[in-house]
Amino acid sequence: MFGFHYKLERKAISFTLAIIFVASIGGLVEIAPLFTIQQTVEEAPDMRVYTPLELAGRNIYVREGCYACHSQMIRTLRDEVERYGPYSLAVESKYDHPMLWGSKRTGPDLARVGGKYSDDWHLAHMINPRDLVPQSIMPDYARLLRTQLRTDDLGRHLKAMRAVGVPYTDEMIANAAADAKGQATPDDPAAEGVTKRYGEATNVRAFDGRPDQLTEMDAMIAYLQILGRLTDAAYKTAAAPGR
Amino acid sequence: MGVTYDEVVWFSKTFGLFYLIGFSALVLVYVYWPSNKATFERAAAAILHDEDKPCR
Amino acid sequence: MIGQLTRTERQIALVILICVAAFGLAIAAAGKDDPIGAHGWLIMVLCIFGVFGVISGYFAPEPSEERLDSYYDEPSRVGIVLSMAWAALGLFVGDWVAWLMVDPALTFDAAWASYGRLRPVHTTAVIFGFGGNALIATSFYVMQRTSRARLPDQLSPLFVLLGYNLFCLLAVSGYLLGITQSKEYAEPEWYADLWLVIVWVTYFVVYLRTLARRKEPHIYVANWYYMAFILVVAMLHIVNNLSVPVSFGSAKSYSLFSGVQDAMTQWWYGHNAVAFFLTAGFLGMLYYFLPKRAGRPLFSYRLSIISFWGITFLYMWAGSHHLHYTALPQWVQTLGMTFSVMLLVPSWASAANALLTLNGAWHRVRDDATLRFMMVAAVFYGLSTFEGSFMAIRPVNALSHYTDWTVGHVHAGALGWVAMITFGSIYAIVPWLWKRERMHSDRLVEVHFWLALAGTIIYVIAMWNSGIIQGLMWRTYSTSGTLAYSFVDSLIAMKPYYIARAIGGLLFLIGGLVGCYNIWMTIRTAPRGVSEPSIAIPEAPLAVIPGRPGAAPQSAE
Repeated sequence: MFGFHYKLERKAISFTLAIIFVASIGGLVEIAPLFTIQQTVEEAPDMRVYTPLELAGRNIYVREGCYACHSQMIRTLRDEVERYGPYSLAVESKYDHPMLWGSKRTGPDLARVGGKYSDDWHLAHMINPRDLVPQSIMPDYARLLRTQLRTDDLGRHLKAMRAVGVPYTDEMIANAAADAKGQATPDDPAAEGVTKRYGEATNVRAFDGRPDQLTEMDAMIAYLQILGRLTDAAYKTAAAPGR
Repeated sequence: MGVTYDEVVWFSKTFGLFYLIGFSALVLVYVYWPSNKATFERAAAAILHDEDKPCR
Repeated sequence: MIGQLTRTERQIALVILICVAAFGLAIAAAGKDDPIGAHGWLIMVLCIFGVFGVISGYFAPEPSEERLDSYYDEPSRVGIVLSMAWAALGLFVGDWVAWLMVDPALTFDAAWASYGRLRPVHTTAVIFGFGGNALIATSFYVMQRTSRARLPDQLSPLFVLLGYNLFCLLAVSGYLLGITQSKEYAEPEWYADLWLVIVWVTYFVVYLRTLARRKEPHIYVANWYYMAFILVVAMLHIVNNLSVPVSFGSAKSYSLFSGVQDAMTQWWYGHNAVAFFLTAGFLGMLYYFLPKRAGRPLFSYRLSIISFWGITFLYMWAGSHHLHYTALPQWVQTLGMTFSVMLLVPSWASAANALLTLNGAWHRVRDDATLRFMMVAAVFYGLSTFEGSFMAIRPVNALSHYTDWTVGHVHAGALGWVAMITFGSIYAIVPWLWKRERMHSDRLVEVHFWLALAGTIIYVIAMWNSGIIQGLMWRTYSTSGTLAYSFVDSLIAMKPYYIARAIGGLLFLIGGLVGCYNIWMTIRTAPRGVSEPSIAIPEAPLAVIPGRPGAAPQSAE
């Protein structure tokens, strides 16, 4: 009697183990090598991290589910390169936790939208997309302009990003809130710190056209304007053979 | 780092093939093992019995 | 519900509820300036309601020892009702977002009602709410019958079911509040993910404990699929959701992986969620309810085992076909493509096995809409797995990816396969669970069937058209060698198809509501019938059924 039950239970356990074993191999074999990929991918020494304001904008992009309709991954196909710009490189999203490559283009790809339009265009487009593109079916985001950006916890956000491998310095973390304010307030003394810490090329502007306020719209436009511009690697290697 | 990217990729590219063939063979042997036939036929028919009580 | 628990189980339930309520209070306090605070209050309030519920039934008489002579179906009954409630919500929001793509103004300027926040509400409510509850409810039912053993206790299956629904509720309300990880089909944030791990481990333990008590030496193949569903979903969920929260009082977390590793991990998860949530689990349903309803044993039990291992093995490699022509190394893309094409073999084996089982029972398929639901499900399963393998081929994917074709493919699978097999199984199981002779109205089942089928076909054909047109417009060149169409041109061309899609979705939604009404009326009013499936008694005598050696030895417990 004991033997009978023992056999039954052993069968269930070994069956469980078999499923785990069989099912785990495929993922392991495909994912594990990607963690050694740094040996082969393009170098991008000029790659910079997101500023606190851009990171806040990215989080709004995530919060509003923009990735459901906009991809950020230009494929190695002629028509995509001609429509959107040089194809996306692995290195360009190395600080993207999580990546926002997307899976659907109800709207156009945004991987290289940074610098393509002016801040004013983005502002008007976010307030009502149909003012600029009458046929657009994008939701409007006028409320971002009405909402103050929360900055008090940005330091902790940077810290969490550092914990998963993004090279933020102690100084960046300590000044996160001030840098967010400074980047959208060019006349503010804090603005200097932003270019000092994140590079001369960093956009420091009143993105929403209101230097006296720091709104979610500032963060959103700051993020959109940096897309595809964290490094020049894609423009340099565009001529190199495909991966 | 002990292993290089190329080594890992080589392993990935070859191992899957052998694993697939070996594993399929195992499954087929189990399924067509003559003494298992009765078990399978019984199992397939067993659910059709109306017996709304657990055995205790 | 409480009346079925023993006194000790009622005490344990109280302890669990109070612990979780305290945890909710802690979150609410730590996250008072953050959206997570709202979730803390929600958890606490729900648990307090639960505490009152348990207390109100606490002094009811304990269930007698005789309960051990019958199966424990309370969790299955609750699960089926919850499943239909989620279906109504999920299909409604789905059709709403479909209309939003026709007229973006249907949001009344509210943040929570914008497309980007509603879409995950739709996907989560239908996949995890409707599908997940149906899987849990049917798995408990099938597991007990095929093992000829009662669930090990009364509390843990209920904990699994209600805990899982708390997860779904946190997920869906979170999106409306703006809480999301952005990982498709894994959007809930870190605390909801951790809660699901606890629930899921309990689910697995319940399953193993029931298996260990079984009186049949052979584990019926439906349970294999349910087991694979439970195990692999746990694996996928844990790996893909590894992340570092900003703080205990913050809903936000940052994924452990970035860029290309994150993309591969996400689509390894995403594709295998399709494989082990939306395929394996529902194949488990198919392999039990279809033979049972048709009154015929499976066409080939051996084939079902071969397909089982084929699906378990091959699916895991296929995720990278979501990333063709991207920054993912090409060899990974090629592996994904190859295995995706090979997947056709076990998939079609399963579909063929289901259809061949119906040989000799086709007159029943004609007369019985419930069985027809299952038959059509098997057909759509075959169709969408073929389409899936086809779309995984790189040059095809170049056209189809990022377009509505993908959406059409997903819905061929989700509406045609997953929802149809679920509705079929639910219409079969409801009279059995509530001891009714039959459904309240067979006619309404028939109405539901035709609404669902028409809705699915309109939806899928609209999306095929729009997807292929979109893909072609994006890559068309004019004679001078420049791109012929702007992006907006392709958007304008989509409009009629988006309207058609929303209408197809509406039909499907109405069908679902008809089903809810019919099930409700069955539970409320239909006459009490005889016990279990009177309908499933085979007409023709079956092949000789050998004695059951497994049933003979009585255990010592």
